[in-house]
Amino acid sequence: MTIKYLDKYPKNLAKSLWVVKPSWTVFKLFCKTVAHRPVTVLYPYEKEWVPDNYRGRPGLRFDKCVGCGMCARMCPTACIKLVDAVDDEGKTVKRPQVNMGRCAMCGYCAEYCPVDAMTVTPEYEIAEYTRFDLLYGPRRLNYDKTTPGMEVKLEVTLPSDIANGNPERRVSLFDLDRPELTDSKCIGCKKCAKVCPVSAITMVEKGTNEKTGKPILRPEIDNSKCICCRNCVDDCPKDALEIKEVL
Amino acid sequence: MDLVVEYNSLLNFINFGELGLMDNAYYPFDTYNLPYAICYRLWEVLGGTIAWLLNLLFPDNGVSRWLIGEGASTLFALILFMLVMFIVVFVCTLISLWMERKCLGRMMDRRGTMVGMKGFLQCVADGLKTFMKENTLPGKIDRMTYMWTVSLVIGVSVLVACMVPLSARWYVVDYDTGLLIIMAFFALAPFFILVSGWAQNNKYALIGGMRAAELMISYEVPMLIMIATTALLAGSFNIGDIVYAQNDTVWFFIPQIIGFITFFFCATAESERLPFDIAEAEAELVEGWQTEYAGMKWGLIMLADYFRGYVACAMVTIMYLGGWTLPFIGDGPIPEIVFLLKTWFVFFLMILIRAALARVRPDQILNIGWKVFMPLSVINLAVVLLLKVGGVF
Amino acid sequence: MSDSLVPVKEIEEKMETDKMWIIMGPQHPFSHGLWTLKIQVDGEIVTDAEPIVGYLHRGWEKEAENRIYPKIIPMADRLCYAASMTYTHLYCMTVEKALGIDIPEKAKYIRIVADEVCRINSHLMWLAAVGTDLGNLTVFLWAMREREYFLDLNVKLCGARMTTNYPRIGGVRNDVTELFDRDILRTVDRFEKAMWDIIALMDDSSIIVSRMKGVSYLTREQCANIGMTGPAMRGCGVDFDIRRDDPYDNYDKVDFEVPVLTEGDSYARYMIRIEEMFQSCDIIRQAVQKIRALGKNAPYRIKTPTKVPAGSAFMRMEDPRGESLMYLVSDGTDKPYRLKVRSPIFTNVSTSKVMCQGCRIADVPAILAQIDMCLGETDR
Repeated sequence: MTIKYLDKYPKNLAKSLWVVKPSWTVFKLFCKTVAHRPVTVLYPYEKEWVPDNYRGRPGLRFDKCVGCGMCARMCPTACIKLVDAVDDEGKTVKRPQVNMGRCAMCGYCAEYCPVDAMTVTPEYEIAEYTRFDLLYGPRRLNYDKTTPGMEVKLEVTLPSDIANGNPERRVSLFDLDRPELTDSKCIGCKKCAKVCPVSAITMVEKGTNEKTGKPILRPEIDNSKCICCRNCVDDCPKDALEIKEVL
Repeated sequence: MDLVVEYNSLLNFINFGELGLMDNAYYPFDTYNLPYAICYRLWEVLGGTIAWLLNLLFPDNGVSRWLIGEGASTLFALILFMLVMFIVVFVCTLISLWMERKCLGRMMDRRGTMVGMKGFLQCVADGLKTFMKENTLPGKIDRMTYMWTVSLVIGVSVLVACMVPLSARWYVVDYDTGLLIIMAFFALAPFFILVSGWAQNNKYALIGGMRAAELMISYEVPMLIMIATTALLAGSFNIGDIVYAQNDTVWFFIPQIIGFITFFFCATAESERLPFDIAEAEAELVEGWQTEYAGMKWGLIMLADYFRGYVACAMVTIMYLGGWTLPFIGDGPIPEIVFLLKTWFVFFLMILIRAALARVRPDQILNIGWKVFMPLSVINLAVVLLLKVGGVF
Repeated sequence: MSDSLVPVKEIEEKMETDKMWIIMGPQHPFSHGLWTLKIQVDGEIVTDAEPIVGYLHRGWEKEAENRIYPKIIPMADRLCYAASMTYTHLYCMTVEKALGIDIPEKAKYIRIVADEVCRINSHLMWLAAVGTDLGNLTVFLWAMREREYFLDLNVKLCGARMTTNYPRIGGVRNDVTELFDRDILRTVDRFEKAMWDIIALMDDSSIIVSRMKGVSYLTREQCANIGMTGPAMRGCGVDFDIRRDDPYDNYDKVDFEVPVLTEGDSYARYMIRIEEMFQSCDIIRQAVQKIRALGKNAPYRIKTPTKVPAGSAFMRMEDPRGESLMYLVSDGTDKPYRLKVRSPIFTNVSTSKVMCQGCRIADVPAILAQIDMCLGETDR
């Protein structure tokens, strides 16, 4: 490649009063901006076009959300909290609430949402008068004009696929990782089945306890339902569940 | 004089000069003066009304008679005259301020001010804003000096701006050394800036004040040489004579093109505008000598800067661009407007220079002043002498 | 000597000419960010200078120890607002090195494009600062105008203007969006034309050149002793660029020149940066062609394990401001045990004493603008 600028400059500086060319350059732009208009966008009156994937405040599609808490777990500023909300059928469900005063607009919530219920939105005018107003509840997070372009798809290629000569296959980050049970640690407390947001875990009877005569319960994970949200892993009191990463 | 009066009687649609004004025993000017004539007529209406009302209350009293007498009329007309002169200059300065903001904005690819009347009302908004700010004084300052220096800087600037004549009929004083007097008042401000820098108990202000003095010793001498050159060419220091000398021959920027360019830069330095605003260099000295002035004082200092810029442009216009005359037309019906348009054109050039150039260093301004401007002004003087000796002028 | 003469020398010796300390900053128009420069002046001439940094210390490194690896990426953006992409890139490279994985080709080229856009952004920001420090606001606004087009490219690429949060451990956040390659080539072509206008304002103006030329000389030895890196070092005659000499990602597969000047003054540092912007345009063009050649379906992000094996790794890269380095110590969990950042500015700013000595007060902003101060990374 070639050097473009260094060999043209510096010029001869003997003309130490050389002010004509900059003045002429400025005058040219003056004529241009008088005839047309300056490049400035008059912000409050006109707004620049933003693409769909613009990372403004997070948006939430209430019906799609399963309340898994992945957004709250991945939020780097810990501004997302799961709160109780009433859904359309009158049931109380867990839904995220975003404290916009702390939100860094990083888009992680939308990126890591396993069901693409969290989206990014192009809305960036979120100033309020009080801090309380900056709390966006689950219903307020709704953005009416959500388009498919606002979803952030997290598609990865497995290193094993690349090694196998199949590099074009992309999978969602949550498709293959599944929790795995260490049978000896499990006490059958059913906690995992309770916290699973998509009811992928069912407690199955695996024989009876010889001493007490009670049935031994073990979780069974429905791989087609699981979204790899790690709630069961986090809530397991005996660390019996662990995510098995497929690479 | 006769010529001017005749001219006005022909072309002036508001004929104030024909009504025996100049026969007044107390008439303060030598020649016809339009703003004074307006003020005199204004006072005749105002004072006459007051006198009539007083006369209704106290028939045949002395005050009424005094009010419509020649002496009192002249006195009150002069007071009105001062007001009119100031307001006209003030409005002209505000227009140049607006022009700078707008043009500079366009040159930088932005909009400039946008508050009302294409941005003109921003000046008013700024004035109101600075006016309403609290008048804070920093501690440990020399309070007396702090106040009187800034008053004098502003006062001298306003005074010199009001002294610039707009035409042969629009002036305050018509001295034979008018140009010199204006330059003398013009050069006063840097002294006050120097003292003000000392008084503020602030290191930035101190350096700024020193730099103002440094700036002045670099451009003042070439500038005076060029004024002398112009006076030599015109044969007089009288502003009217200089302008009409250009009207009789050619505009002086043609024979003294070197002088025109050099004087233009000197005038930029004199008004402390951007390539030479080392006294208030905001990059290194926060606001230079104005650092500790807040509120209305700062607003007035800013305004005074524009007064000085206006005067500098007016000097260039008078000395090189034919003042209020136009080629082949001479005075024209409204010479004041011609003069102001020319002044604003020169101001536009200053804006262009400001947008295109950076600030020079204090040692560079000394170099430029003594090694570039000084020889150029002497060369200019030599050219003019040759022309004069050769009989061209 | 007769008695009538005044003994000038004695009087001069008796006179106390105080040297004055002027404190510039943290609230000063020249300090772009929160830092202080104390200068000692003798009249107008600077005799000593001392930079004071640390006003913006946020405990970045400590904070990183309490976060899982992906959550540090948005924080790495905030290290430097003008060059966010390079720091995120550096962090991801460090973790990838600790993991011992190789990322896809496409991701490497996308990262190169993003990096160079970021370099142009950062250099334009610097150019704007130089303009204001020298007293020319036009340069400031023109450079910011050009920068805006590149920020729009950032929006197009990843949806955010400055804190991009784009590179990921194992690749990049998303594939290049539709028509991004077309847009970036147009922007680069347009930028190269517009750059000559700004150069006409800067290099063809004798005032600006004379303000920068011949002040604040630095030698190669001083550079080496102080630890100065980046364009400022290349302006002093050191021919070293990590992109070329210790290539990371795919910088060895693109062809570019490393501008080097031997003058070592302020103007040389300025010219190096201007030329680097043109070279960045070249790199962008080549990398975009490579991305196009790889096709739409090429992988851009691979899956990485959440836990980093115990051990340490460091990576260095050519930041717009110099050589930045991250050193990662992992204890086998999903959080780093220690993450050390070496900021180029933190060392570069210590040259201010050498550079400012003997110059004038008016030169101080112009000289320190050439360091391209950024406090986010300095104080961390």
